[in-house]
Amino acid sequence: MTEFFTEVAEWFADADHWIGADGIPMRTLEHVWLAVLSTGIGAAVAIPPAVYLAHRRIGAFTANALINIGRAVPSFGIIVIAGLLFINAGLSLRFWPIVVALVALALPPIFTNAYAGISSVERSIVESARGMGYTDGQILRSLEMPLATPVILAGVRIAFVQVMATVPLGAILSSGGGLGQYIVRGFAKGVAGRAEVFCGALLVALLTVLADWTWGKIERAAIDEGVRAITSGSSP
Amino acid sequence: MILGQQDGRPFIDWAWIGNHTDELWERFVEHVVLTGLAVAIGLALSLVLAAIAIHWRSTYQPILAVSSILYTIPSLAAFAFLVAVFGLFSLATALIPLITYTLLILVRNIVTGIDGVPDSVKEAADGMGYRPARRFLTIELPLAAPVVIAGLRVATVTVVGLVTVTSLLGRGGLGFFILNGFRKSIVSPTEILVGTVLVVALAAGLDALLLGLERLMTPWRRGETT
Amino acid sequence: MRTTRRSRAFGAILVALALLTAACSGDSGESAKADTPITVASFGFSESVILAEIYAHALEANGYSVERRLNLGPRELIFPELEAGNIDLLPEYVGSSLVVGFGLDAPSDLDAAVEALGAAFADLDMDVLDPAPGEDKNVFVVTQDFASATGVTSVSDLAGAGDITLGGPPECEARDTCYQGLLGTYGLSNISFESIQEGSARVAALENGEIDLSLLFSTQPVITAKGFVALNDDAGLIAPENIIPVVSREVTDAFGDDVTSLLNSISAKITTDVLLDLNGKVELDGESEADVAAQWLADNGLDG
Repeated sequence: MTEFFTEVAEWFADADHWIGADGIPMRTLEHVWLAVLSTGIGAAVAIPPAVYLAHRRIGAFTANALINIGRAVPSFGIIVIAGLLFINAGLSLRFWPIVVALVALALPPIFTNAYAGISSVERSIVESARGMGYTDGQILRSLEMPLATPVILAGVRIAFVQVMATVPLGAILSSGGGLGQYIVRGFAKGVAGRAEVFCGALLVALLTVLADWTWGKIERAAIDEGVRAITSGSSP
Repeated sequence: MILGQQDGRPFIDWAWIGNHTDELWERFVEHVVLTGLAVAIGLALSLVLAAIAIHWRSTYQPILAVSSILYTIPSLAAFAFLVAVFGLFSLATALIPLITYTLLILVRNIVTGIDGVPDSVKEAADGMGYRPARRFLTIELPLAAPVVIAGLRVATVTVVGLVTVTSLLGRGGLGFFILNGFRKSIVSPTEILVGTVLVVALAAGLDALLLGLERLMTPWRRGETT
Repeated sequence: MRTTRRSRAFGAILVALALLTAACSGDSGESAKADTPITVASFGFSESVILAEIYAHALEANGYSVERRLNLGPRELIFPELEAGNIDLLPEYVGSSLVVGFGLDAPSDLDAAVEALGAAFADLDMDVLDPAPGEDKNVFVVTQDFASATGVTSVSDLAGAGDITLGGPPECEARDTCYQGLLGTYGLSNISFESIQEGSARVAALENGEIDLSLLFSTQPVITAKGFVALNDDAGLIAPENIIPVVSREVTDAFGDDVTSLLNSISAKITTDVLLDLNGKVELDGESEADVAAQWLADNGLDG
């Protein structure tokens, strides 16, 4: 047991592991970039239709059914299919196939939460705003969105965490996959690679926890005090 | 060009499916068994953890924290370590990461569901002489059912997807075809697509089944739309 | 009282007769075959799956019960299972098994290599059977364009070809039969390594120019199909790589000559051309490994 942890310490202490395109800093950057980009694309794709549909109170059943099916598509299958298409088209497997798989992973939680966030705004509030002469657009922008923001952000956060933990899938197809490359490589090396697997997994886990914590701070900052008071049921 | 003929081979070879119904069935069964075991054991463990968390509130956050950390460990890393402990062929190696993935959502949903049971109902049960265990099993759990089953649906669908990754251990259920199709120097789209479509069908099917179960268990909600 | 004692005695005689019949049943050989399943394993590439399927099919056709554990991964991942006695039959490759599996040097003479391998596996309670005539070696390939531009025909020519990236599976980086061999035996200091696990991804990367040099296997028809150039191994890095099934003592003890002669008769017919042909059917024509294996056995009259 202790020799294993010595191996781990040695792996981190090895200067070669900190430099170059395969080093920890570059791979961390690659990992974060893949996660941020994929979650961002997922949010851009999922939030507008979810907000629109929930605002208009239509399409609940179809949207939910599609999202459930979307959740059912395995990331492993998506990345292999994307890889297959990219190989046929003569394109590089290093970056976009994993992005495709990660965006697909991010869509369901973001959509579900955005839809739920908007549709959970109390009808009575919306009706009284309409009665006061607010236009549809104004209701959406100044009423429903601010109230729904905590739930929407929570959805993005859930998606982000899942995506961070799934970036390693990219390492099966190429030399990419961020910190996951250490895991795939170490796995293939059997006993000799166990320290590498552990270091890779540890880095991914730490990075994910850090990202989740940072996200919590962002959520705090982004949500208006008053909105927080309303949504948590206390009076300002 | 991308979706058409591939080096002289049609993109999907329908004959392949007809010739491989035995293997497809075997792998389908493997997939269902792995999913079923993982979710069943995960549910059992989560019920225990949730009961602990409800009874001793201070344990809730730590339990969630540990489940979250287990959730973020990439499955391949988990496999590497379990291989060291149980061996490459052991069922435990494939099953344990699948189980730990379900804990976070199930524990959270069970506790949220139970917390959602109105106090008045709980007090009424106490008033009628129900012991805590009986109250938990016969009153609180059924009322918490919708939330629990919602979590169960997500957990099941997630596990179905994760089982495909066990193909790297030589298992994989239907994921075996996904990996094997890619593992030739000129990839075989038929195997990959058939594998993926069947995985989606299985997950969607199990999801629908659980939704049906929820409807059955909560007859008082039949008038509502979800 | 007397009736009960008599019926008990009668019952006992019936049971004894039943046991006697079962024990003397000429079927005991067959039930033993069914009771001792043979675990056949393969590495994580299609040729290994084909070979495993060939042996597995033949065993089943002869009444043995087989459990398949195919498409596992590299030797580094599988060897602990061999050591633990969880695998009964693995189609190995002589040279790589010695060097990568046991860390020994591989003699360039096939018989010497097989003997050394036999001694090594004996420690794991396994026997090596007869090697097949067919070989599958590591090859380093470049695209036709690269070969024309740099004029390389052998691995040692790479020394003068500028900065080169070798694409190989993760385990290649540390292996003497792979990247380490290029650095050590060939003394090539201008080669860097990029880890790409799957063969199909490596082929794509080679075609794209993302890597200059790729590790492939000599019996992969994709090499000729894509017009790649396999560089000549002029420093003799790769030792004999004949296919050789290794079998656990458990199986040889249980079934003896029946199983070993069956397996040997199959190995004798596996030539390099057979490997190329079967690989072509799977990798280029998209047939499945099991079908191709069964068909080959039938064509060669080996299926029982």
